Amino acid sequence: MNAPFFKFDYFGEETSLIVAFIIGIGFGFFLERAGFGSGRKLAAQFYLTDLTVFKVMFTAVITAMVGLFWLSVLGLVDLSLVYVSNTFLVPQIVGGLILGVGFVIGGYCPGTSCVAASTGKYDGMIYLLGIIAGIFAFGEAFPLLKDFYTSTAMGKVTLPQLFGISYGLVVFLVILMALGGFVGAEWVEKKFSVKSGGVRK
Amino acid sequence: MKTLKLSLHQSLALVAGLLGIFAIVAGNPYKGNTATMNVKELCLLVERETDHISVDELADWIIKGKADFRLIDVRSEKEFAEYHIPTAENIPVGSLFDAELMRNEKLLLYSEGGIHAAQAWFILKAQQYKNVFILRDGLAEWKDRILFPSISDSATAEVKQAFEKRKVVSKYFGGTPITGASEVSQTKQLAIPKIQMPSGSPAPTGTTKKKKKEGC
Repeated sequence: MNAPFFKFDYFGEETSLIVAFIIGIGFGFFLERAGFGSGRKLAAQFYLTDLTVFKVMFTAVITAMVGLFWLSVLGLVDLSLVYVSNTFLVPQIVGGLILGVGFVIGGYCPGTSCVAASTGKYDGMIYLLGIIAGIFAFGEAFPLLKDFYTSTAMGKVTLPQLFGISYGLVVFLVILMALGGFVGAEWVEKKFSVKSGGVRK
Repeated sequence: MKTLKLSLHQSLALVAGLLGIFAIVAGNPYKGNTATMNVKELCLLVERETDHISVDELADWIIKGKADFRLIDVRSEKEFAEYHIPTAENIPVGSLFDAELMRNEKLLLYSEGGIHAAQAWFILKAQQYKNVFILRDGLAEWKDRILFPSISDSATAEVKQAFEKRKVVSKYFGGTPITGASEVSQTKQLAIPKIQMPSGSPAPTGTTKKKKKEGC
């Protein structure tokens, strides 16, 4: 067995949709279990009182990274077949900022808004409507945005290629960053929940 | 002796840290340009010739508008621009490596004579591509049999009857059938047809198939 399964033709296109559905359900389930179906929990991150989002997401990042790295070193995953999206530096920074602002204002990010909506939260449903309206507006305005959207293209680039260092070293540095981030996050949480503790608890 | 007691978080962090430290010396996860192949399996495949497609079959497929395969021209861009078989896409052998081909696609390769196509076949097979086929005798055969089929005056009635069919196919692809041995010598001056799909044929959906988007 070799992964990615779809590219090695272990299953066809129809089956891939079922697989995607199962993975999607799993993703939503764990987001909900992490408490991300609640806008309050997500917004708490920006008040620095609860950094669960940061911790969960960074854990996911390093789990995926370590898993892909070691499975490919062992020859179970062909990393060259794993899709890497193209980098357009400036538009993607701008896009990230827009997403972040939306996150702060709306209390959800796209994935968590689906989780909130499916658990019956009205704000999640409203947020979803906003997403759909945004997609529509973006699609209609795309001809105007196209030049910017495709500017500063860097192709498919990964950190090891960009910095010219070995893949393993990047893995190590990112893990170091994550562990440092977790310790720092706990410290920040303690500090800020003590500050606002009188009011909130 | 003191035993070290770790919380769940701490032990997970320790595991992550260790995996990270070992990662530095674990080498490159990309397989890069090396491939492994089952030589015996390849020998059998070559011997059985099941991966050869004749020009007649291909002509038939194109006329019928068959779209379950990708026709790939492995010659240079310049040669491709001069003439290529309708519905073909150009992936020169040199850029085969970063071409976006899927392992579950049916790929039919051709070159001028067939050597480059055969070599490309080998490269793809070594990378575990399952459905790779070669156009037998390549574009040269396509020109001889499909575009400019010829027949001598002394041919038997049976051959002549079959030739009528070839003439239709040839015209379909914009070629010129040649009758009479005297004209054969002029083959070189025959006009290579313009590259466009013959009219009145079902539009080939193979090349216009939308490229699948990946990612979020």
